[in-house]
Amino acid sequence: MIPATLAKSLVEICGADAVILDEDRLLVYESDALTAYRHRPGAVVLPRTTEEVQGAVRAVAEHGLPIVPRGAGTGLSGGAVALNRAVVIGTARMNRILHIDAPNRRAVLQPGVINAELSVAARAHGLYYAPDPSSQTTCTIGGNVAENSGGPHCLKYGVTSRYVTALTVVLADGSVVKLGGQGRESPGYDLVGLFVGSEGCFGIATEIEVGLMPVPEGVRTLLGIFDRIDDAGQAVSDIVSAGLLPAAMEIIDGPTIRAVEDSVFAAGYPTDAEAALVIEFDGVEAGLDHDAKRAAELCACAGAREVRSARDEEERLALWKGRKKAFGAMGRIAPDLLVQDATVPRTTLPAILRGISDIGHRYELVVANVFHAGDGNLHPNILFDRRDAGELERVERASKEIMQLCVDSGGTITGEHGVGLDKKHHMPLIYGADELGAMWGVRRVFDPAGVMNPGKVLPEEAAVD
Amino acid sequence: MIEATVDPTTTVRESFPESVEEAAAIVRAANEAGTRLLPAGLQSWLGAGGWTRPADMTVSCARLDAVRHYEPADLTLTADAGLGLAELDDILRPNGQWLPADAPGAVAGTLGGLVACGVSGPLQGRYGALRDNVLGLDVVTGSGRVLQIGGRVVKNVAGYDLVRLFTGSRGSLGLITSVSVRLFPRPEADLTLCYAGDVAEIVELARTVCTSPLPIAAVEVESADGDAVCAVRLLGGAGEVDDVRARLAGLVGREPARSLPGDESDAFHRERTGWERGSAVVARLAALPDQLGHTCEHALALASALGGGVVADAVQGVARVKASPGGVGADAVAADAVVGALSRARGEMEAVGGSMTLSQAPAEVAARVGWTGGGGGGAELGNRIKELFDPASVLAARCP
Repeated sequence: MIPATLAKSLVEICGADAVILDEDRLLVYESDALTAYRHRPGAVVLPRTTEEVQGAVRAVAEHGLPIVPRGAGTGLSGGAVALNRAVVIGTARMNRILHIDAPNRRAVLQPGVINAELSVAARAHGLYYAPDPSSQTTCTIGGNVAENSGGPHCLKYGVTSRYVTALTVVLADGSVVKLGGQGRESPGYDLVGLFVGSEGCFGIATEIEVGLMPVPEGVRTLLGIFDRIDDAGQAVSDIVSAGLLPAAMEIIDGPTIRAVEDSVFAAGYPTDAEAALVIEFDGVEAGLDHDAKRAAELCACAGAREVRSARDEEERLALWKGRKKAFGAMGRIAPDLLVQDATVPRTTLPAILRGISDIGHRYELVVANVFHAGDGNLHPNILFDRRDAGELERVERASKEIMQLCVDSGGTITGEHGVGLDKKHHMPLIYGADELGAMWGVRRVFDPAGVMNPGKVLPEEAAVD
Repeated sequence: MIEATVDPTTTVRESFPESVEEAAAIVRAANEAGTRLLPAGLQSWLGAGGWTRPADMTVSCARLDAVRHYEPADLTLTADAGLGLAELDDILRPNGQWLPADAPGAVAGTLGGLVACGVSGPLQGRYGALRDNVLGLDVVTGSGRVLQIGGRVVKNVAGYDLVRLFTGSRGSLGLITSVSVRLFPRPEADLTLCYAGDVAEIVELARTVCTSPLPIAAVEVESADGDAVCAVRLLGGAGEVDDVRARLAGLVGREPARSLPGDESDAFHRERTGWERGSAVVARLAALPDQLGHTCEHALALASALGGGVVADAVQGVARVKASPGGVGADAVAADAVVGALSRARGEMEAVGGSMTLSQAPAEVAARVGWTGGGGGGAELGNRIKELFDPASVLAARCP
C-alpha cells in the first residue's frame, strides 16, 4: 500500500478511476507474460496525457518510491514487474493514434496503441507498421519501444529501432524532453536510438513517431518438412548464401510440431517430422515466383522431405498457424514453460541445435524449439512442472547451460525479449565490468536518483561510482 | 606508433596506433598530460558538421585495417576501423555481398570514419540507415577505457544500445577501433533511370515515384541552373527490376532521358558520394518529404547565391547544397553574401518545421550562421553523456 498522501495526489492528477489501490485488483499487475516473477505493485496509475504522466512521476518520486512503466504486460523478461511495491504507471489509456501522415509515411501515436491496430489503421493508406512481435494483437507500441521488439518479419525489415523516429519522453525528474523528429536534422547524439530498448529505465515515452511501409504487393509462403533439424538449419544458411532475402524464415522443431498437432491448433504438419521451415517472400509480384522456386530447390537439396506452398491467403495462414500457435499449444503438454531467447550466428544453428538437444537429454527435460531461424534468434522452450522442485532446479541449470552455449558460439543472451529481471545476472556472460559500468553511467544520466524501473537490466554489483 | 606533424604552422601531431592497446595508451597518456586528441580515420570527414575543436594531436586508426571475422553465410563482418570502404567492397564483391553505405564522402572513407560520422545516404529507405546496420563496436572512450559494445549477431537487445550512441558521435565520446556490420546480398540487377526537365516538373515526378508503392531503392533530384534531373534507382532480381521499370514508365508517363544499367548505375552513385568534395560550403536542407518542392526551391536559391548546385534525396526530403569549388571567396563581401543566403535558407526551412545545417563552411561563416539551428531536444542529456565518457574533455570533438 502506498502512503495516503500519494494516493490522494495521484487521484487529483489523473482522476479516481485512473488509480488502482485495491489489493485484489493489483493482482492483475503482479507479473508480465513471464509468470515466474510475481510482485504485487504498491499502486497502479493509468494516465491519459503527457501532463498526467509528468504529474504522476513527480508525485511518486517526491515520495521516494520507485516507478515501473508498463504497456500491455506481454513482455517475456519480467521487465514490467513492480519490485518493492513500486508504483506502476501503465499506458493502457494512452491509446490514441494522433496522426497518420500518409504522404510522409509516418504516424504519431500515444504509447498504449496496440501494435496490430496501428497497421490496421495505416492499411487504409496502403501502409503498415513493419515490426510484428508474436504478441502484436495485444502488445503496445510503447512496450515495443521499451523492448526494441522484433518479430518474424524483421529478417527483412529490421526491428523497432529502425522505425522509431521521434519520442516525447517524461524523465524520472518529471521533465519532458522531445527527441528526434522526421523532416529536420537535429544535432547531437542518437538519443532516440539509445532510448529504444532501454526497458523502462530511462523514462516513459508518451508520444511516439514511427515510420510506415507500403503494403507489399504480393506474398509467397513455403513450408519445408525435414526429417532432421540440422538439414532445416542448413537450408536456412543456403538460402541466405544464395543471395535471397526472404521476409521471414521460421523453424518449428519436432516436439513443437507434435504439441501443435495434438492441440486445437493442429496445422496439418506431419507429426513424424523433426523440423518444419516456414519461408516467406514479399514484394512486387514479378520475381516472387522465381525466389520461391529457388528457395524450394534449396530446401530439397538440403534434404527436405516435402515442400508445400500456399496458393492463397487461407493456405498461407494455415502454413503459419503451427508457428503462430506454438506457444499456446505447448501449454497442453506441460504445466510450465520457460521461454528462452538468444541469438547465435546463423551458420552455427545446426551445431547449436544439437547442443541444446544434448543438454535437454542430459537433464531429462523436453526442450521444444521454435524460432526466427533467418536471424539466428533461438527460442528454446523448456517444458516442466514447477511443483516438482527437482525438475525446477534442472530447468534452471539447463537454461544457464543453453545461454552459455549460445554465447560461446559468438551469440548473445537475448535477441528480442530483453534482459528485464530474468537475465540481469546473465549480463556478465557477455559484458565485462567496464561495459556494465558504462551502461550504469548512461542510466544515471537519464535517471540520477534511480527511480525508473530499479532492479532491472543491470546487475547491482556492476554499478560503479 | 608513428607520429608526424600534419601542419608545421599549427604543430598538430598525428599518431597511428597499431593496436587497440596502443590506442588506449595514447588516450590515457593524454588524460595525464592534458593533451587534446582528435580521433580520425583518413581525416576526410574531420571538418564535417562543426564538431571538431582545436587539438594537439590526431589519433588515426588508418593502420588498424584488418578483417577480423567474415562468414559470408552469416551476412556479417567484423573489421578494424581503419579498413577503407573501397577495400571493404573489394572483399565483399566476390561473395555477392555489400554494405549499402552511400553517405556523402563514403567512397573515400574508412569503416570507422563512416560509423563515427553516422551519416546515411539515399539507400537508407531500402536498407535502413547506417545505424540500423552497425551491430557492434570496440571503442576507446575519452577516459581510456576499452569497451566492446553490441555484438556480431543481427538481433541483440542485451543491455542499453550504446552502439547507437557511439554511431554518429563523431569522435566526441571515444575512438572507434573495430566495427561489426550487417551485410546484404548484392542485388542481381542495378538500374538507374534519369528523367530530365524543368525543376517543378522533376520535383513532381520525384514525389510521384516516392509515394507509389513500387519498390524504389532511391530517388534523387539534381539541379544547378533551372534544369533538373531525377535519378531513380532500382535494385533487385532481374525480373523484379524489369517489371518495376515497365510500371514506372506507366506511372510517370514518359521515358527516361538516360538509363544506366549495372556497373554504370553503381559507378554513378559511387561518384555521387563524392559530389561535395572540395567545396568550401556545404549545407543540408531538410523537411518532410512532401515539402520537397519547398526544400528544392530554397536549396536552389542558396545554390545560386553560392554559385553551386543541389542534390536532393527525395525519399528522405533532404537537399545537399554545395558551393562551386573556389566559388566562395574568403573576402568580407563574399562572406556577407554567403551568410545572408544561408540565414535565409535556414529561416525558410524552419518556417515549415525543417532545418538547415552546415556540413562544411569557413570558420567565419560558420561562426556567424551557426552550424545548426539548435532546437534539438536532449542537449542537456548529450552534455552529460559527453562528460560520462570523456570527463577530462581529452577528446576535442563535441556537438556544435
